[in-house]
Amino acid sequence: MSSRSHPLRLGRQATEADSRRPASAAATARPAAAEGGEGAASPRTVKPAQAEGAGSPLVIRAEKVCKTYRLRGSEAVALQDADLEVYQGEFVSLIGPSGCGKTTLLRLVADLIEPTSGSLEVAGKSATEARESREYGFVFQAPVLYHWRSVLANVTLPLEIMGFPRSERRERASALLAMVGLEGFHRQYPWQLSGGMQQRVSIARALAFDPRLLLMDEPFGALDEITRETMNHELLRIWGQTGKTVLFVTHSIAEAVFLSSRIVVMTARPGRIQSIIDVDLPYPRSAGTRESERFFQLTTQVREALRLGQDGTHGAHARAGEPGSAPDEGAGTS
Amino acid sequence: MSWLRRSWPVVAVMLATVALGYPVALLFGLPLARQRMHDLSNWVTATVSAAPVAVVPNGSNGSLTFDHAPAHGVLVRNGAPVAARYRMSGSTVSLETPLARPAVRLGAALEGPLDPSGLLYRLPPGADAQTPLYVGGKLLRAGADAAIERADGRATTFTFHAASGPVAVGDRVLVAGRDYRAKGDTVTFTQPPDFNVDVRRITGAYAVLDPAKGIIALAHPSAAPPRVGQDEVRLAERLTGAVDGRNRTFAFAHAPVVETDSARQVYVDGRPLSSTPQRPKERVDGKRTRFTFTSTSGLVTVDGTLMTPGSQYTRDGPVVTFSAPPRRNAEVRQYRDYLVSNVHKGTILLAAAPKPGSVVWAAHYSYYARPECGTTVMQCFYSMPQHPVPFPNWIAAQVIPYFTQYPITDPRNIVRGVLYTTAGTVSALLLGAAFGVLLAVLFVFLRPLEQALLPWVIASQTVPIIALVPVLLLILGNFGITVQTSLIPTALIGAYIAFFPVTVGTVTGLRSVDPLALDLMKSYAANPFQVFVKVRFPAAVPFLFTSLKLGTAAALVGALVAETESNNRSGLGYDIIGQVQAGNVSDLWILLLISAALGIGLVALIGLVQRFSAPWDRP
Repeated sequence: MSSRSHPLRLGRQATEADSRRPASAAATARPAAAEGGEGAASPRTVKPAQAEGAGSPLVIRAEKVCKTYRLRGSEAVALQDADLEVYQGEFVSLIGPSGCGKTTLLRLVADLIEPTSGSLEVAGKSATEARESREYGFVFQAPVLYHWRSVLANVTLPLEIMGFPRSERRERASALLAMVGLEGFHRQYPWQLSGGMQQRVSIARALAFDPRLLLMDEPFGALDEITRETMNHELLRIWGQTGKTVLFVTHSIAEAVFLSSRIVVMTARPGRIQSIIDVDLPYPRSAGTRESERFFQLTTQVREALRLGQDGTHGAHARAGEPGSAPDEGAGTS
Repeated sequence: MSWLRRSWPVVAVMLATVALGYPVALLFGLPLARQRMHDLSNWVTATVSAAPVAVVPNGSNGSLTFDHAPAHGVLVRNGAPVAARYRMSGSTVSLETPLARPAVRLGAALEGPLDPSGLLYRLPPGADAQTPLYVGGKLLRAGADAAIERADGRATTFTFHAASGPVAVGDRVLVAGRDYRAKGDTVTFTQPPDFNVDVRRITGAYAVLDPAKGIIALAHPSAAPPRVGQDEVRLAERLTGAVDGRNRTFAFAHAPVVETDSARQVYVDGRPLSSTPQRPKERVDGKRTRFTFTSTSGLVTVDGTLMTPGSQYTRDGPVVTFSAPPRRNAEVRQYRDYLVSNVHKGTILLAAAPKPGSVVWAAHYSYYARPECGTTVMQCFYSMPQHPVPFPNWIAAQVIPYFTQYPITDPRNIVRGVLYTTAGTVSALLLGAAFGVLLAVLFVFLRPLEQALLPWVIASQTVPIIALVPVLLLILGNFGITVQTSLIPTALIGAYIAFFPVTVGTVTGLRSVDPLALDLMKSYAANPFQVFVKVRFPAAVPFLFTSLKLGTAAALVGALVAETESNNRSGLGYDIIGQVQAGNVSDLWILLLISAALGIGLVALIGLVQRFSAPWDRP
């Protein structure tokens, strides 16, 4: 493969990222992001990714994006009029009940599915062009490792496809495996690893070709609470090191608050964006962050936004959590 | 030991299978053994002959000692009962009135000795094998034991039932030490006896070596040559049955009698009876009712059923007229004097009832003494030459001889056969696998092609391979490609049935890819070729190997079937068909085991290849 639209090296990226490092950046709110919810009114102290404010490049821009599935003749609206802007270096979480279209939105950004209407730009290009120029790395809920490849070979797979030379493949993969804490596991096969380790390999693989954007679809959803928290810390550390823009789908309010710089709260039936909450917890975040008062305030705020979404728009609590009736579940993560 | 702990289920099943072999062998073998035991054609026959006088008496009165005693004795001479009063006690007859002539007159001496051994003599003219021979007034008892093996012109080692006695080959008595060495019941000749010659051991006082030439051999040299008995009195067997002028049924002392015994001699007083079946002069065409026989009286049977005179037929001299025509090609027979009416009871039916006071007697007849295979069903089972299911240990004992019976240079050597079949199977598998994988890839990438071809692929497998093989061989034969000269027909036939499981398995495998794995490839903007090489094909590998194992079994079947159709001497298939035609069941079982072992070995080999080429598969 010859596509060298971003023949990035980790080192270079790291230096670039340094300037946008969450921890080092000053905190300025980006007003455009917080239109709904009380988050708009909250003090914007630490927003490192938006340190440059509106000057920071726009990575994702969705405008009135709709996705409708046709299932056995009837139409199911998975996503309705989604407007979202994600700037470089941001960690944006999509949270909401099942069927709210968060996975659909993620897959639309990834160009794994096409929107029914609306416009979507990723890295300044159309979603398809962005995919073809390998602007993002995708991490699924399942690790989706190729079981016939060793851990190292799984990480080098995208590099093989993109035509990186052999030595560089090995170098990058080793560096990434070291970053996710799997130095000694190069020769192991995926089935020999625990679920958390498999997901780390998956993250390393998504980062292997140094994409600008990391799309994560409930990557820790299948893990137990303890592993999940460890992985959250790991992810923040990696995000800090690489400075990627992350779009992160989750079911967990605590996870969303702990990780994100912004939280997009979505509602189901039809899936739509209910509100966007800025998270002003300072980076670097640690175990202590989870115990801070602001953390509780924010989780409460997200929870209330979620409840508001259910009550306010539909008044149907019961159906919101119903599994199986969710269009984005059927078409997205499987 | 750890090996045993790991694979004990396999070992247990194997042992159970072997153990199951025994009841199965009995299940299938015992009915056959019972049948063998009850079938009279498998019985050893014995003969009852009128006994000659054991010691030549001085005169014509006193008591006579005979060689053996029949159940019901009657003194006979020259085919007629002797007119004398006597009492019998076992084999001794006390004469109450003297005989008209001396009981035995010694006739001419035998000519000889004919060779340096001093044992060979020639009977004088007029004497035959039944003529009693006397040395020093004492009867010589004949006895010979034929070798168990037949002389095939090559074998030099023969076994006998008897463990001692001079050895005769044909009409020659051999010299121990020079011509043969005897060890117990086994005799090894320095020169192989000629093809089909009689190899015998003389167990009695003498043996008749050549009845036509009258050559006999004594067991021991004799100072004076033996002399023949003439005009001798014999003790014959009297048949039981009421002689009241009406009864026509008489019984032999020994039963079952051999019905087709042409040497049987039955007399009523001095008249020899004939039971030779006469055929009618006319053809039995299903319409004719009148038939002409040679004799003017007798018993008439149709298909073995006795006809009743008067109601079923009328007689006019030799012409018999049936009231209803016998069916076409029915066996219409006439017996002049008698027929064997019941084999098992040993009874005969006379055409005419003997007059009161007459004697019905037999000078000679044969009966079935005992089953040849033994007196119990188990003995008969063990002595069966072929068992449908042999005992596992019998098969096991045959395995090594089966491999070593021919040298490796001999085309009949089984190792060569195994190698030939292996070559055929492997080439069939390679061809079939290549075609199968190709077809599978085409099917996965060109959906319409699958829709168009899959019914035909399935239909191809419904064609019975055994019907297809001759056609294929014929077509290839037109191009000069035969099973004799190349592996191509074998490979094609094997591939024909081996490709199908490979295709089905590979299609399943190529479609088994996790959709997310394909999404991932899409996110990398991978091209279709990369998707195939990096994801679809590796994901299909376990399926491919499983289907290759199935394909191996199919290829082996194809190769074996192809070989059965050939007439060169290579391959297990040829051996199998040869043993089937020879009815050689135990060898068939060994070939079955060898074929099975070959199949298992090839499948295991594929498993080994899988282990090395696909180490990611969990052990």
